[in-house]
Amino acid sequence: MALVLHTYKGNKGAFKALVAAEYAGVKIEEAADFQMGVTNKSPEFLKMNPIGKVPVLETPEGAIFESNAIARYVSRKNGENSLNGSSLIEYAQIEQWIDFSSLEIDANMLKWFAPRLGYAPFSAPAEEAAISALKRGLEALNTHLASNTYLVGHSVTLADIVTICNLNLGFATVMTKKFTSAFPHVERYFWTMVNQPNFKKVLGDAKQTDAVPPVPTKKAAAQPAKPKEEPKKAVQLLHLLIRE
Amino acid sequence: MALVLHTYKGNKSADKALIAAEYVGVQIDVPSDFQMGVTNKTPEFLKMNPIGKVPVLETPEGSVFESNAIARYVSRLNGGENSLNGSSLIEYAQIEQWSDFSSLEIYGNILRWFGPRMGFMPYSAPAEEGTISALKRALDALNTHLASNTYLVGHSITLADIITVCNLNLGFATVMTKKFTSEFPHVERYFWTVINQPNFKKVVGEVKQTEAVPPVASKKAAQPAKPKEEPKKKEAPAAEAPKFAEEEEAPKPKAKNPLDLLPPSPMVLDDWKRLYSNTKSNFREVAIKGFWDMYDPEGYSLWFCDYKYNDENMVSFVTLNKVGGFLQRMDLARKYSFGKMLICGSEGPFKVKGLWLFRGPEIPKFIMDEVYDMELYEWTKVDITDEAQKERVSQMIEDAEPFEGEALLDAKCFK
Repeated sequence: MALVLHTYKGNKGAFKALVAAEYAGVKIEEAADFQMGVTNKSPEFLKMNPIGKVPVLETPEGAIFESNAIARYVSRKNGENSLNGSSLIEYAQIEQWIDFSSLEIDANMLKWFAPRLGYAPFSAPAEEAAISALKRGLEALNTHLASNTYLVGHSVTLADIVTICNLNLGFATVMTKKFTSAFPHVERYFWTMVNQPNFKKVLGDAKQTDAVPPVPTKKAAAQPAKPKEEPKKAVQLLHLLIRE
Repeated sequence: MALVLHTYKGNKSADKALIAAEYVGVQIDVPSDFQMGVTNKTPEFLKMNPIGKVPVLETPEGSVFESNAIARYVSRLNGGENSLNGSSLIEYAQIEQWSDFSSLEIYGNILRWFGPRMGFMPYSAPAEEGTISALKRALDALNTHLASNTYLVGHSITLADIITVCNLNLGFATVMTKKFTSEFPHVERYFWTVINQPNFKKVVGEVKQTEAVPPVASKKAAQPAKPKEEPKKKEAPAAEAPKFAEEEEAPKPKAKNPLDLLPPSPMVLDDWKRLYSNTKSNFREVAIKGFWDMYDPEGYSLWFCDYKYNDENMVSFVTLNKVGGFLQRMDLARKYSFGKMLICGSEGPFKVKGLWLFRGPEIPKFIMDEVYDMELYEWTKVDITDEAQKERVSQMIEDAEPFEGEALLDAKCFK
């Protein structure tokens, strides 16, 4: 039985596992008929992940949820490779950047992005605080990447895979060139990595957004959570990108 | 060289590594001279963690930040032969899944509930509602899993349990009352069993569940409820005193501010602020002298303030945040005031002492009405004929250290 990844198309959480699979030489099938909001509410799915979020990886030995955990599993599936470093300290530092990019970058980027798309209540002071925290995180990352090509060691590790997939969502949705130009080493790092063959195979052509999505109107803000109909195509992609 | 963990005392995230160390049989030193807000801003610290957060583990091979990463590292020391990381690849992955889940879905939402009520982040009722809803969703999922599983993965404690229980501990200690957690009985069973294991107890000590959610101290809610005297002593919040919330919008004085109707004064506040900011050397001879030269006791008044509840100020960064919040809420008074807030002491309880310059002969009424923090301080008008008081004013403007025999943790300026 192959490894089966349950997710909607374009899920950045799923990308992490898929890129890791390219590097580790692991085969992953994406569940063909997955329907967001339907498949992940079925009893079979909830047995795999009681909170009903995606992505979820089904393996012959059991199921795994949480995108970083799935990526870690995939990175170790075929035994030794350089994705997890070559010493205990390297491994720990890979973990530190994985957590950092999830908590300090991805989480704040989502707090900026989601309310503007109507998925959470919008509040100007909260957005200001989120952007401020995001800048603080990117600044620390920028400092590290000024003198490091990769996050850990001298080649791509799982830390780079997770961080780049997180950054990719930010670049695509809210972080304009004007915003990221304050972090030139992060820019260098990002564009180099997304153009590596194993990343390109999964992410496609990475694009940077020209503008921040506008603040929703009062009506949209008053009704957060999932819209039942499909919003217009441009917004639709963004909608899919954040639903975990 | 031992392993050194840099953190403030009581950091629930640091507990993860320390508990893992108990299971693995590894020694970790926690320096007691760590000062939050000071030690973690030094260049040496920032080399270890460029974002300057804690905890950070210093090892002979290099340093590690992010509490879960540190715990993972510790769990693999001593040959890594222990049950913390499971006995197969799938068990390992499921340990990781619960570690991430408890950090993102549980801890993250607890923090977003607790933080704004403590004034660490902006407070907003709809955001809090969303956060509590997300937290309940996560606890529900965890509860379902723990209905038929004693531990998160396998049949004994793993790193997932250490991380998850430390994450839950913050919630139990601060915002999750018994009423709240009673909806998740399997989580309750799990939490109390695990936190009472010897290796946990050694690190976290006695654990008490909070009896109440810290109140949101909004200006409007606070004022009718509180008389001018000491309401605080009657309350008994288990957590740090939640007297302050982040500002809602500071209302700007509408129409005419009575201070604009005062007879014109030769002193121009902005000139003083410029002199203060631009004087880079010979501060006493240039700025302080300049201040007293331009000071107009008819048009302005000087006030000392002392925080009434200094005994609460045990944690440095909480104290600093408190003062920072006060200065943010003073924003509406910027045109009419200048202030210096000194946080004194080299360890808790820190003393907060302030010096304020206000337009007019009294503390402006609109400030007393709009800025909730004002009543947390004792206010005394400065008698400038008293040389000792004048000197105290000068020392507070120039951040004299030691101040009244003590080191300064920080000096904040409102201008």
